[in-house]
Amino acid sequence: MTQDRFLGLAALALAAAMVAYGYGLQAPFAYEPVGPRAFPLMAAAVIAVCGIILVLKPGEANTTEGSGVTRPILILSACLLAYALLFQPLGFVLSTTLLMVPIAMVFGASWWQGLITSAVLAISSYLLFDRLLDVILPIGPFGGFI
Amino acid sequence: METLSYLAHGFGIALAPTNLLLATVGAIVGTMVGVLPGLGPINAVAMLVPVVFALGLSPESSLILMAAIYIGSEYGGRISAILLNVPGEASAVMTAIEGYPLARQGKAGIALSLSAWTSFVGSAIATFGIVIAAPLLAGWALAFGPIEYVALMVFAFACLTGLLTDQPVKALLAIMLGLGISTIGIDANSGVYRYTFDSPNLVDGVQFATVVIGLFAISELLIMLESMKGGAAPRIEQLGRPLFNRAEMKFTNAATMRGSLIGFFVGILPGAGGTVASALAYTTEKRVVERTDPEGSRFGQGDMRGLASVEAANNSASNSNFIPMLTLGIPSSGTTAIMLGVLTLYNITPGPALFRSQPDLVWGLIASLFIGNIILLAINIPLVGLFAKMLSVPAWILVPFIVVVSTIGVYSGKSTTFDLVLMVALGVGAYFLRRFGVPMAPLILGLVLGKILEQSLRRALSLSAGDVAILWSSPIAIVLWSMATAVLLVPLLMPRFRRWREKAVAEQD
Repeated sequence: MTQDRFLGLAALALAAAMVAYGYGLQAPFAYEPVGPRAFPLMAAAVIAVCGIILVLKPGEANTTEGSGVTRPILILSACLLAYALLFQPLGFVLSTTLLMVPIAMVFGASWWQGLITSAVLAISSYLLFDRLLDVILPIGPFGGFI
Repeated sequence: METLSYLAHGFGIALAPTNLLLATVGAIVGTMVGVLPGLGPINAVAMLVPVVFALGLSPESSLILMAAIYIGSEYGGRISAILLNVPGEASAVMTAIEGYPLARQGKAGIALSLSAWTSFVGSAIATFGIVIAAPLLAGWALAFGPIEYVALMVFAFACLTGLLTDQPVKALLAIMLGLGISTIGIDANSGVYRYTFDSPNLVDGVQFATVVIGLFAISELLIMLESMKGGAAPRIEQLGRPLFNRAEMKFTNAATMRGSLIGFFVGILPGAGGTVASALAYTTEKRVVERTDPEGSRFGQGDMRGLASVEAANNSASNSNFIPMLTLGIPSSGTTAIMLGVLTLYNITPGPALFRSQPDLVWGLIASLFIGNIILLAINIPLVGLFAKMLSVPAWILVPFIVVVSTIGVYSGKSTTFDLVLMVALGVGAYFLRRFGVPMAPLILGLVLGKILEQSLRRALSLSAGDVAILWSSPIAIVLWSMATAVLLVPLLMPRFRRWREKAVAEQD
């Protein structure tokens, strides 16, 4: 199955979901001829058409140059997700120091280069954003900035 | 004459100390970001969205900052293209074709300074063009009602699908995904909750910053990881003679002018940005030189005329991009789409009325484009060596920095874990879409225009009590519908244009 076919099928699935969740959207009182569901359903219809075109007439498959990078991509995605989930519970400084190390290492740093980068980054951006710019960052489990 | 007094007023705003400082900082940061391979203007502006709010800037100041970063990174993109053969952003692809061979011949300094100069000329011409064309267009666009708006947006979408990609269906898909995201949240007309899945986090829609940062900054990191594993061209260390001479300038003057004009007109088209402009300028210049000076043509091996024309076109287009954005409320590129999105966050409705209701904003921005370009020329010729040093910042410092700034940016909006997870999910999703060849810029345009399109459509159909024929009932609308049809049909009917597009926009994002 070529990439385009897969994309087309995904588009069809999305369109189906948009219709399934959008079909029941109706206003209790209609003030206007076009209700709230027309526009989403229209978008879903065009997405479905795009999907059908992609399934029936897929373009040439791109040469997949990135075949050897599946593992780093997975690691990076997992680190990003973990960072998103731990950002609030662990607080800014801890979560940043902890999770930027593997991210730096995915991009070729040694463990101590990663550790220095993440620690410096965590503390300096905490001072810059939280203290200087008044962007309130989550505090750590110990109540302070860690 | 009225225009001149408005412009003078604009300079008053742009020269205010804060705004001047912001324009300078923006120009420097923009050039730095543009230099970094993989980080284009769109990422820089996207990451800036929340910072702008955190700083509590006024709408005109934040627009001035973002515009400076935007045009700055168009300048910066040429540095990595010339020295590294790696375009910092899509519109610098053509720059690398002529610039890198020049650098390998020991003329890196000339290539860099010459391209800075032609970038400046292109920008300056486009900025004058804005001053002349924008008020006229805005006055004309005041007659636009919901009917015309629907047709205009369909025209913009047609330009996006017809001009931008080799696979129009994927651009269309991207636009529709953007429209789909724009419907999430409470419907303004009826109060119905759409696609919120009973989550309180989605009631007022998806945060703009979350989508933009996820789609651009986060997915870019995954792309960077992928491209890092590929081999790189040898980097040019020796810059050679630092400044072009008079003979070289004379040699390229005509090319610069042609490039600037092409860039200006392409940039006005809603939906077509610097990438299309530079590709069109390059092919035009190549044809002109092959016809007039077949012996002297060095295209492909480092022709200064090619370099001059491409950089002039690219920067001219990125400036004239502001015309449709300011006058019609229709952005031409992903970056101007983000700026429009920011304006709506300030509760400013983009559109032709902007020239009347927000003269400070409009003319302050236009004046700051003049000032920004002068600053950029001033810093780009002497400091080019310094900016080139940015290329030695390792990815393992850069990436954590981007992640942290992006995360803080998204978090500063509503302070929820939900938004952070959504950011990562959108980023990974966008990475796969990009791998499958779906461009991201149309998606952002769809998202920004979605609400306006839906409102215009519903208003128009309310006027006619549901009769669809009202959509082509006005002469302006008919013209726009025909133009949209033409843009979509021309590539199908003209195989020559299709071949050009396939070749030219192979690197399109």
